[in-house]
Amino acid sequence: MTASVAPLPDVTVRAPRLAVGSYVFYIAIAVAALIWSSPLFILFFTALKSANDFAQNGTFSLPQTIELSNFAKAWDVGIRTYFMNSLVLTLIKVPTGVFICSLAAFALAKMRLRGARAIFTIFVLGLVVPMQMTLVPLTTLYQHLGLIDSLPGLFFLYLGFGLPLGILILRGYFRSIPDEMIEAAFIDGCSWWDVYWRIVIPVSKPAIVSLLILDGISTWNEFILAQIFIRTQANRTLPLGVVQFSTEFSTAYELLAAGQIITIMPLILLYLFFQRYFVHGMAGAIK
Amino acid sequence: MTSIPVDMKAGSQTMRRALPQSLVAWLFLAPAAVIFAVVLIYPMTYSAWLSLFQWDGVSPNKVWVGVENYVELFTANRVFWIALKNNVFWSLLSLVIPTGIGLGLALLLNTAFRGSSFFRSVFYFPAILSMSIVGLIWSWMYHPTLGLINQSLAAIGLTGLENNWLSDPSIALYSVFVAATWHNAGLPMLLFLAGLQTIPKEVMEASRIDGATRLQSFWFVTFPMLRETTMVVVAITAINSLKVYDIIYVMTYGGPANRTQVLGTWMYFLTYNHNEVGLGTAIAVILFGLTLFFAIPYTRHMVRN
Repeated sequence: MTASVAPLPDVTVRAPRLAVGSYVFYIAIAVAALIWSSPLFILFFTALKSANDFAQNGTFSLPQTIELSNFAKAWDVGIRTYFMNSLVLTLIKVPTGVFICSLAAFALAKMRLRGARAIFTIFVLGLVVPMQMTLVPLTTLYQHLGLIDSLPGLFFLYLGFGLPLGILILRGYFRSIPDEMIEAAFIDGCSWWDVYWRIVIPVSKPAIVSLLILDGISTWNEFILAQIFIRTQANRTLPLGVVQFSTEFSTAYELLAAGQIITIMPLILLYLFFQRYFVHGMAGAIK
Repeated sequence: MTSIPVDMKAGSQTMRRALPQSLVAWLFLAPAAVIFAVVLIYPMTYSAWLSLFQWDGVSPNKVWVGVENYVELFTANRVFWIALKNNVFWSLLSLVIPTGIGLGLALLLNTAFRGSSFFRSVFYFPAILSMSIVGLIWSWMYHPTLGLINQSLAAIGLTGLENNWLSDPSIALYSVFVAATWHNAGLPMLLFLAGLQTIPKEVMEASRIDGATRLQSFWFVTFPMLRETTMVVVAITAINSLKVYDIIYVMTYGGPANRTQVLGTWMYFLTYNHNEVGLGTAIAVILFGLTLFFAIPYTRHMVRN
């Protein structure tokens, strides 16, 4: 196995033919899928119910009427702030992080550098470090710098913790680019920067898109750092905010469900549109 | 343009006149290296140092106590032992259950049938949700009166099995584990699917032609060929399960009566709620040590490739 982001072959093409081609098989897997997704179905149904409907008919029943106003209400009483914070943070952090990772990965993959392997190893080890190992010194440091309870402060932490995976994925992909392409560029008079920007980056689009999606998801979902470093309601990110929201509105089930749906909606959309890239990226990242 | 083939590294010697290549390399590395040093290297080193002090996190003077924090954790801190035991238990369980479900689903979904990619998406989707959302959704599933689980049990007449899933000390950890499994089975499934794709179809066919049953061909052909995938899955599962934190924090807050405490949450509570920074960082160091046990072979494997 390699650390490259080679596309996963289309499973349906070369997988063994279904031998259990019976209704029993289909029914079994459909039931399993239904049970597996039931938490999400319940969440959706609850988000669409009126408070009365929920109180009278319980968790199981289908919504009597479709109450889309639950989403507007949840949005207005707090989710909006959290959503916007997460959105801005993700939209700025992810491209910046991928850019920084790509610079480093390019140096590690294609340049002559003493100790490149050791440097790479240290970066990769960052992938497994428990967050707890960094929290206290970072808190102290951030108190000195006045970065506690600030989104820019969180941005730098996310940059740092995103480096290992980004460098791992991109270095693997860059290494698969033939050196001949780079030689040819040098002969044409390119500088290292030209090689990076005009050759390596354009041909690495699949890996970069995969990484953008993976990093987008993990930034969107991050919890611990936000929990430690964000103190006021106005600066909460979505994973943190929605937990707080659940405590505040602990009996307004339809609002809670709507808030949670809003939280995961971008992930659902991303997954529907970019599933292919996502799966490739994940497979490439971990192997 | 010359047509003489030039080795890239030799060719770049012309670059050396402008800037030595290693210096250029460091310029490219600099942003990542600086951020990494500030956000990870320095805090980790400093945490290890702090674990040798008694400190409340606020006062200017830290009292040097050497390894006393570690001694105290192992001899006097009852909750630390619960947390450590829970961590080990959680990790062992994680290596069997979500991993096993992932392997089973991968084997099932690797067969070609109409809609197999749809089902792959269905089973994978929970894996991209944040643990805090998974925790919230499942807290809801476990609600004593309104939750799906107790209501389902009541609906089929099994009222005797209804439970306070998250507040009963003897089962709370299992309840949280089930929720985590919903999230954690996706990644092994994906990795095993990718691994299965690397096994040549001919090998499978040959074993079937030689008269092997499905089970035999899995055990003697498929499984050995998945060895490398399995090693990666085991390493990732072990590392991730040692780091478990958010789902416990969201679902049980370490309770009831510390029964679902793990090292990650206990570190947080000691450090930020009890102002025992020395003890807290000592837990972080122990947790890091446990992680390294799996991380070193795993990292070597990835760097080798």
